[in-house]
Amino acid sequence: MSLTRRGVLYGSLGVAAAGLSAGRARAAGEPIRLGWLTALTGPNSAPGIGFNRAVVYAAEKINAAGGVNGRLIEVITRDTQGDPAKAVNAAVEMASNVKVHAVFGPTNSGESLATTPIFARFKVPSLQVVQLDNLIDPEKYPNAFRFAPNNSQWDDANRHYILDILKAKKIAVIGDNTGYGTTAVGVSVANFKKAGAEVVYDAVIDANAQDTTPNLLRARSAGADVVAVWSDSTGLNARMMNARGQIGWDVAFCGHPALGSGDVARLLEKPAYWEKVYLVGYRSCTFDANGKLPARTQAFIDEVKGKIQLNDTTLYWIVAAIDGVNLVADAVAKSGSSDSEAIIGAWNKLTKWPGLFGDITFTPQQHNGYPTDEVVMSLANSAHDGAFTLAPGYA
Amino acid sequence: MIESIISYGLAMGAAYALIAVAYNVMFSTSRVFSFTAGALGMLGGVCGALFIDRLGLPGVVGLLATLAFCAVVGVVTEFVAVRPVLRSLDQHLYVLSTLALCLMIQQFTAIEWSTVPQPFPQLIPVDLLGIRERFWMPVVACVLVVGGLELLYRHSMIGRAFLAIAEDNFAARALGLPERGLRVASYALAGAIGGLAGFASGGIMLAFFANVSPFNFYGFIPVALGSIGNNRGAIVAGIALGLFQQAANFLVGGVFSSVAVFSVFIVALLIVPQGLFGAPPARRV
Repeated sequence: MSLTRRGVLYGSLGVAAAGLSAGRARAAGEPIRLGWLTALTGPNSAPGIGFNRAVVYAAEKINAAGGVNGRLIEVITRDTQGDPAKAVNAAVEMASNVKVHAVFGPTNSGESLATTPIFARFKVPSLQVVQLDNLIDPEKYPNAFRFAPNNSQWDDANRHYILDILKAKKIAVIGDNTGYGTTAVGVSVANFKKAGAEVVYDAVIDANAQDTTPNLLRARSAGADVVAVWSDSTGLNARMMNARGQIGWDVAFCGHPALGSGDVARLLEKPAYWEKVYLVGYRSCTFDANGKLPARTQAFIDEVKGKIQLNDTTLYWIVAAIDGVNLVADAVAKSGSSDSEAIIGAWNKLTKWPGLFGDITFTPQQHNGYPTDEVVMSLANSAHDGAFTLAPGYA
Repeated sequence: MIESIISYGLAMGAAYALIAVAYNVMFSTSRVFSFTAGALGMLGGVCGALFIDRLGLPGVVGLLATLAFCAVVGVVTEFVAVRPVLRSLDQHLYVLSTLALCLMIQQFTAIEWSTVPQPFPQLIPVDLLGIRERFWMPVVACVLVVGGLELLYRHSMIGRAFLAIAEDNFAARALGLPERGLRVASYALAGAIGGLAGFASGGIMLAFFANVSPFNFYGFIPVALGSIGNNRGAIVAGIALGLFQQAANFLVGGVFSSVAVFSVFIVALLIVPQGLFGAPPARRV
């Protein structure tokens, strides 16, 4: 077949027309732009890497099934590197340039504190998982919703376990000297006193303290029969467990999820020092006494086997991120629109939305959607496949 | 309680004293307080854990590799952060340059090593006279360094050359001493001493990138208290600091022990501004 000038001209016109019609089709099915902010590199990137695997998986799964009302989900990721300044820049870019329809993250408190007012100003529907209590305020930030527990819910679960299940009467509360630790100790002490318990010792210790023996000896002298620990410093937690073992003090440690970190295990002088340590966990990601996960979670794990790497991360990061993407997709599907008001309106009507992480409920007045009774205590030394075993004493 | 104060206090005091000696060794040939001293201490712990725990090298080889690595970091400090600012010592630009290098080392370690403390390997599985390795090792390291420096300074030509430069830089140079080479050598020596401080105290401090700050701050106190440039003063002040800090941990507890340490430090300097072992400055008339 010979190539003629007329043939090339008709061919080009045909290609151009096809391209134009494809462009119209794309415009009709404009993707749902989901902004995703997290630290993927740098010192605080472990949670972000775990979350990210699930965000990518959830978006790909929805897109493979045809998207939401025919619209694909486009995840626009920005690596904040754990730096609030970078998170702010990314937030402004997402809200004003990329014009995302909704945003998930950032996943650490400092960054979220900085970016929440920005997303509020641009009215971008925003999903949060960080624990900071005052981050969620429907009056100040009507666009911001949290579908994970806050610090108060952690404290409630810990206090309930100490007072109602362990039946402890005299409490010691110890935290580190970071902003988080200092605040958590203050709140915990106040709540124990409000509940009628006797706080016999409370202390804020340098997160890098080499020897915690003096503090534990004081707590023991004061008569404490349990220690509430509020520190995410694995070094401090391990040093306290070592000191407890060395002074031969047989009391339970209950508190922050970092008590169960694998990094703590590496720093313990004896594995036995990890006994009688209970951490805040979530029923959806907790093995029961028979070693079984809730059916919904187990079905998910069976589904993602070989597709999402689970052995080096925490299960709750994975299931929470899946819920984050699905919450956006569901809001667009139900409201039929990706407008800010439509998504926020859909979330405000959510009642017991069956997420993998928990059943989420939002109202216009309450944007903390995670159910408190889903927050439970787990055995710190029981981690496998990213989940822990339920602490003894629960019904 | 007394046992804990003495064991922890002596061990940490010896580590602070070694960092103070590293400060002094660098200062003596350059008149610069290099704030990479804390980074050298941190690297001592991290390299020890890396070479012995992760790479599986024998303890002695791991120690020598750590000292060599930290000596190289000391030399790099001299080239990168000290030499370029030596001409304008009176502007104290070295504060910025050495702190910047220190932060770079710390951040690099955080990214490449870990952001959480890692265990430091136990080298000798039995206690020495009933004392655990993590308590006696810093003290033994301190004694060896003091003895080694005394031998170097009193009985070797290179040691005397160090002293000559420390005493009068210009006169030593006029006499033909290789001031630049000796300065590089002193930074290598300081690197090894700083690394030894971190290695020897690794059982207590662990292999942790954030150890830079405690080494820098608490290591500088013996420098000031023991009189700047005075190694013997630094050792005495370092040991005293360790014991006082641990006693304060028991007596006032928590974060208040740091407050107690710095309060005593400030009061001591108000009373003897030249340090405990320094002569009052001569008044020019």
